[in-house]
Amino acid sequence: MKILICIKQVPDMESKFKINGEGTWYDQADLAWRMNEYDEYAVEQAVRLKEQVKDADLTVLCIGPDQVTEPIKKALAMGCDRGVHIADPDSSKREPIAIAAMIAGFAKEKNFDIIFTGMQSQDRGSAQVGVMVAEFLGISAVTTIVDFAYDNGAIQVKRELEGGSKALVTGTTPVVLTCQLGLNTPRYPTLPNIMKAKKKELLVLAPDTGGMGARQETAACYFPEKKGGGLVLEGEIPELADKLIQLLKEKTSVLA
Amino acid sequence: MEFTREIYWNVGHRLATLGPMYALLLMAMVLFAIGLFKRIKVYRLGRPLDRTDQRGERIKHMLETVFLQTKVIRVPGPGAVHALFFWSFFVLFLGTALIVLQSDGTDLLFGIKFLKGTFYKLFSLALDLAGLMAILMLVSLAARRYLIRPKGLVTAGNDAFMHGLLLAILFTGFLIEGTRMAVTEMHSPQLAAWSPVGWGVATLLAGIGEAGLRNLHTGLWWFHLLLALGFIASLPYTKFRHILFTSANAFFADRGPIGKLTMVNLEDETQEKFGANELGDLRWKDIFDADACTLCKRCQDRCPAYATDKPLSPMQVVNQIGEIAFTKPESNLIETIGREALWSCTTCRACQDICPASIEHVGKIIEMRRNLVLMEGEFPGEEVMAAMEQVEINGNPLGMGYASRGDWCEPLGIKPLSEDPEVDVLYFVGCYASFDKRNIAVAASFVKLCQAAGIKVGILGKEEKCCGEPIRKMGNEYLYQTLAMETVEIIKGYGVKKIVTTCPHCFNTLTKDYRDFEFDIEVVPHALFLEQLVASGKLSVKAEEFVCTYHDSCYLGRHNGMYDAPRKLIRSMGGRIAEMARHRDQSFCCGAGGGRILAEEKLGERINIKRIQMAVGTGVGQLLANCPFCLTMFEDGVKGANVEEQLRPRDIAEVLAERITSEHA
Repeated sequence: MKILICIKQVPDMESKFKINGEGTWYDQADLAWRMNEYDEYAVEQAVRLKEQVKDADLTVLCIGPDQVTEPIKKALAMGCDRGVHIADPDSSKREPIAIAAMIAGFAKEKNFDIIFTGMQSQDRGSAQVGVMVAEFLGISAVTTIVDFAYDNGAIQVKRELEGGSKALVTGTTPVVLTCQLGLNTPRYPTLPNIMKAKKKELLVLAPDTGGMGARQETAACYFPEKKGGGLVLEGEIPELADKLIQLLKEKTSVLA
Repeated sequence: MEFTREIYWNVGHRLATLGPMYALLLMAMVLFAIGLFKRIKVYRLGRPLDRTDQRGERIKHMLETVFLQTKVIRVPGPGAVHALFFWSFFVLFLGTALIVLQSDGTDLLFGIKFLKGTFYKLFSLALDLAGLMAILMLVSLAARRYLIRPKGLVTAGNDAFMHGLLLAILFTGFLIEGTRMAVTEMHSPQLAAWSPVGWGVATLLAGIGEAGLRNLHTGLWWFHLLLALGFIASLPYTKFRHILFTSANAFFADRGPIGKLTMVNLEDETQEKFGANELGDLRWKDIFDADACTLCKRCQDRCPAYATDKPLSPMQVVNQIGEIAFTKPESNLIETIGREALWSCTTCRACQDICPASIEHVGKIIEMRRNLVLMEGEFPGEEVMAAMEQVEINGNPLGMGYASRGDWCEPLGIKPLSEDPEVDVLYFVGCYASFDKRNIAVAASFVKLCQAAGIKVGILGKEEKCCGEPIRKMGNEYLYQTLAMETVEIIKGYGVKKIVTTCPHCFNTLTKDYRDFEFDIEVVPHALFLEQLVASGKLSVKAEEFVCTYHDSCYLGRHNGMYDAPRKLIRSMGGRIAEMARHRDQSFCCGAGGGRILAEEKLGERINIKRIQMAVGTGVGQLLANCPFCLTMFEDGVKGANVEEQLRPRDIAEVLAERITSEHA
């Protein structure tokens, strides 16, 4: 069984964000970097699947500048077998379809049974790459999975939908699955695995978007305007209810 | 008349006596040796560890510990009784040795007898009184064990055997003396008076008549001999072994630095296992410790986890290891002891500090935690794993962006060394004082105090990372070593001469653990640094009277023995300290040590609330601390205990900063 896990390195969301000089994206100085949270669920699920079926080969792929070897190493320490680094210093400027094209370019003819990735990245948050990869490869995709079961080529997943409802989806491999919070708790790599990871294969490839040129342009990037903060009401419950009704009447139109 | 007595009276100093006597002694010694070697074989199941360096110091420490009973008498009641019993029994042992020396040594070979005259009288009196004292103390100890039954004291068949045998030896000793004196000394009161107890026994027995007394004496003599030899033979097989092994453990004791953990060699690529989950992963001393343990339960009595109904007893951990070693060496240590017990330890060192048997509890627990973290990726909870990941990403367990680490002191005009490396001291701020609002107030107070004293302070700012202390105590040696190496390199790169900390955990780590990375820059904790500034007059403060209670943090107190400097500082600023019952070396942990600051406390009562209640019990309104972890736990504890109005936790530096009289020019 062959599994591909696509991961992205993103800034830690607690970092001090600044807009870059061109005003098109965030400035990269003073940021702490980590593996995209949703991609961690993808790595964990792939490793669990390998533990279940025993015979599986896990390839972890990441696109970006040299520093992205860090999350690749972490994925290898968590249990992936080999790493692929598409060395692309401009990855943050590329639109989702270009990223998907690069992944699909690598994955085609390699017959991956399952491709796991995060349902979106924490920084750009387009949520498009996974489904586009599936489209390029001509295989099906199931997004935002929060539960996963595999049995001899058949998969059963739970999807998280809007409004708290869930969908139970069954299908067969090959398939792209995008992972959502709640799917699993990613493991902490053990020391012997961290050491083994250092010796695992890491393939470095040049970026190839397969002729997929720029289709969009970022006009501007800015922080949301600061609006008035929330209001905390204090006091006894009956009193609070009265205050709330009054506020809703005066300041909003919900009771009109 | 010559004051003496006939040695081997009645039984006779002849082959018929000496032959069987020495044959029995030999048998006892053989049994003793077999028992001893069997145990040594088990100790050797552990990994090697050199505890024979600094021999002179080790021997001195052992002699003090054993003969002055220095550790035993730290707990006054039962400790004093044990010490008196030990000294009495030792006098009896010496007396017996002198008799052997004269009769089968100096007298036999050179015809020299020294047990005579005034020396004999004193010898006789000393032995008599020692015997009496030994009986009284032994009865007291038995009363404590069997009648008073202190909570947590484990009593087994072993104990009854030991009490019974010792009492029998002492009683038969007096009966032998009594039967002999009833025959030989009833008409020489000026001699008999030097054996008052023996004389008393003799008076009771005098009616039996000489022939009966002589028969009785012979029987008792051989019985007493068998009991005494039985004592020797049973040493390795019963808790009597503590006489040997607890004494020897004082020799093998950890000679510090106090609380410094052993390094794991992460460079060694052949190593595939880390930490301990099997007996063979521990060191021989860890197994030996179990034999040195007397089950005195002093550790358990002081353990904050045990006191709050958590499944940890340091005594039990030590003895579970012993049980595995001697009865089921294949067992899994962690499964036997239990994860929850291992994670409950706050590494407060109360157990190790009080232990009269030089047992090292904390290191064992950390070794097992290392196994859980490094081999299994296990933590006490997801929140701890998240904190570890945050340290990896942002260099602090709070998950705050690393680049804002130095933001707190911008308004104070303090710059990072990367901008201005010419400073008097480097303030190693620590994670809590860098990011946590409550502790930033402490850091700001400390900086203001330094500025008032004309001391130029610098920080590492965003180059500073967690020192690794909670990480290491939680068992994550790999992440600790990564952090330590980075920090050592950065600090050394600036040529820093002196470092001050406001966190005792940082202090202990930088001064002790970082030695493994050739880091030897002077580090001073703020309580001591400020005390010296005030004492030298560099910092002038106006003493304003106030009352408070003071909490000795585990890492300034038991780990570094700094009890007086903070108290002196408090007094110098006008404070009167209403001490809690548990203070100085008996201080009760806040609950945050051992990396527990990163973990939720899910089991039993909350340790910080218990400590807060002790502070409230003093009736004063302020609780002074010297540690950001303690302060955090106390701020939380006053809320949890609902005493926010009654008790205000503060750091010493905050109170001192309010009393600055003059800004330095």
